[in-house]
Amino acid sequence: MQQFLNVTLTGLAQGAVYAAIALALVLIWRSTRIVNFAQGAMAMFTTYIALALIEAGQSYWVGLLVALVSGLVLGALVERVVVRRVEGGPELNAVIVTLGLFVGFQALAAILFGSTFVSFPAPFDLRGFTVGGVNIAFTPNSIFVIVAVIVVMLALVALFRFTNLGLQMRASAFSQEMSRLLGVRVGALLTLGWALAAVVGSLAGVLIAGGNLVSPNYMDAVVVYGFVAAVLGGLESPGGAVVGGLTIGLLLSYVSGYLGSELVALASLVILVAVLLVRPQGLFSHAAARRV
Amino acid sequence: MISRTARLAAAAVAASLALAACGAGGRPAEDGGGTGATGEAATASDVGITETTVKVGAHFPLTGVAAPGYADIPTGTKAYFDYVNANGGVNGRQIEYVYKDDAYNPTQTSQVTNELVLQDQIFAMLGGLGTPTHSAVIDFLNSEGVPDLFVSSGSLLWDQPQENPQTFGWQPDYEVEGKILAQYLAQNFPQAKVGLFVQDDDFGRDGEKGARQYLDSQIVTVQRYTPGNTDIAPQIAALQAAGADLVVGFAVPSYTALSQLNALRLNYKPQWAYSNVGADLTLVGSLLARFSEGAITDAGLLEGVISTSYLPNVTQTDDKWVQLFGKVWDEHGGEGDLNNFRIYGMSQAYTFVSALQAAGPNPTREGIVKAVESGGKTFQGPWLAPFRFSADKHGGIAGVAVNKITGGTVQLLTDVLVTDNGTAPITPVGTPPSEPTANGIPDVKPVATG
Repeated sequence: MQQFLNVTLTGLAQGAVYAAIALALVLIWRSTRIVNFAQGAMAMFTTYIALALIEAGQSYWVGLLVALVSGLVLGALVERVVVRRVEGGPELNAVIVTLGLFVGFQALAAILFGSTFVSFPAPFDLRGFTVGGVNIAFTPNSIFVIVAVIVVMLALVALFRFTNLGLQMRASAFSQEMSRLLGVRVGALLTLGWALAAVVGSLAGVLIAGGNLVSPNYMDAVVVYGFVAAVLGGLESPGGAVVGGLTIGLLLSYVSGYLGSELVALASLVILVAVLLVRPQGLFSHAAARRV
Repeated sequence: MISRTARLAAAAVAASLALAACGAGGRPAEDGGGTGATGEAATASDVGITETTVKVGAHFPLTGVAAPGYADIPTGTKAYFDYVNANGGVNGRQIEYVYKDDAYNPTQTSQVTNELVLQDQIFAMLGGLGTPTHSAVIDFLNSEGVPDLFVSSGSLLWDQPQENPQTFGWQPDYEVEGKILAQYLAQNFPQAKVGLFVQDDDFGRDGEKGARQYLDSQIVTVQRYTPGNTDIAPQIAALQAAGADLVVGFAVPSYTALSQLNALRLNYKPQWAYSNVGADLTLVGSLLARFSEGAITDAGLLEGVISTSYLPNVTQTDDKWVQLFGKVWDEHGGEGDLNNFRIYGMSQAYTFVSALQAAGPNPTREGIVKAVESGGKTFQGPWLAPFRFSADKHGGIAGVAVNKITGGTVQLLTDVLVTDNGTAPITPVGTPPSEPTANGIPDVKPVATG
């Protein structure tokens, strides 16, 4: 019973991070119709920037803030300088470009920050709570992670649903030409979409790094599971991404705890294939209604 | 191939000419052993050997996830060779040490080993690191006839003299280490419920094999982690749920740190015991240091952890070997301080110098292999237990001492114990620890090899 409880709780905390990455993927997908495979690498890069500041004596919060701001800048730059040139062309081109960025950022981080494991501090206590004599794998830090992800999700939902800007972003992603004709500044909105997604990604990067070890490829697995979570949620809805993230976190934690850690990657593939076969539009998508 | 044969022929001709010219009664170099007489002139007796140099190669992860710690090993080796060179070299020859980065990636290991053997023309490979990496080149080295000395890994693969006559292990293999550690734990914690936390590859499997010989009836669960997957929370939760109050880990340093971190989350406080591989106090301590907010101080998480040692520890500053290596590092080292990885590298270098001396004044590849087989058991050095080398045994150091991390240093809990693979009994080593020679360089007489 205790093991079930602890495996569930660690799965939830891990799932919250997958949800954050899934949110970032959804954001870019909704605003530009591109799946950004460099999401994890960009997040890793800004996490290292935060770590450099913390090592230089700044507080965790300064590090987090700078990571988010540099995420914003990095996302905008990547869109303007690199992705802009392949947008509107064949979809494969954009995908290949993001894969190239992924490799490039990892190599750059290895050159600048070294390629070994280093520890990343956590803002809150890493010791689990004890409830009624039972130790549970839930720490003040896990609560911080989950709350942070929920706040970001709500903010994104609000942005897309209740603001004019959100409506324009959705419109420009959905039909660039039509939006342009209606006076929407599509280019600026695409850049904004990437910038916001990179902020969310940076948050995910710093959250998963807290109280853990980081290396230039520590986000690789996270971004894969985040992608599965996003597909599970339908690639369209922020709520779906969060539910998808938590589901993947839980399922993988059960697989690792009860079947063996070597099956985790395989299990995520099985989930991905099953979702695509049974419900290719994802669990929360309305995409079917939009088919023309 | 043609050019190699031609070179060998040329070397052989040159060797015999030189021998004829000096007219001394030296035996042909191909016999492998020298006469022990100092009158024999130095010749280019084999590939990688000139009258004034010996070229040695190695592959190490200098970048990548395996680099922390392991990348320091060749810097120690190089510092010791520089020290020997500054003191006149071995039989007048300077040791040239070339080590290349394989990033712990077997494909790159093959590539750099090809370069070392075919392009750099090394005489021997020394201390190539890693089980998956070195397995990729073991066939090549053996088919080329390159002495593959003192692999930096405790896998049982290096001890197969029939199939791989050129390859020798060095550190105690994981089975031997597992046996000695497990016997101590079984004797001192007879009531404990034991959980194993092992890497899901040869390293974990060999260790588990050794540990099961003494702890089998006490083991309540075995949890395996996959290298690369850093989320090991479910494994630690399973250990806790199984009620294990003594956890034996065969894990690399980063996973030792992760296991401590996840146990902290669960308020899980068993007695921990780790293989020597993953229990480097300085490295694991530095990985955990940044989590010191709250109750944890530096390596405080590792306080009371049981492990093993087969070399002196850098924190034992009154040890003569540590003092010698400290001096070597001060004089010839690069950046950074002496640490356990550099001591490891220097100890391997010390072993190589012993082997080179044993191979006589004009060593050959065949000769050094024979010299290690017949003389290796008696090499004196910083290692706590002797090597097991013989014509039908290429296993390295025969045993370890069990230790405990207390107050930032290690304290030995047992004598140095030795054993062998399989059901061989565990016995005290029986010989007193050796001390460095006056000049810190081995003084091994050439071994007569028939």
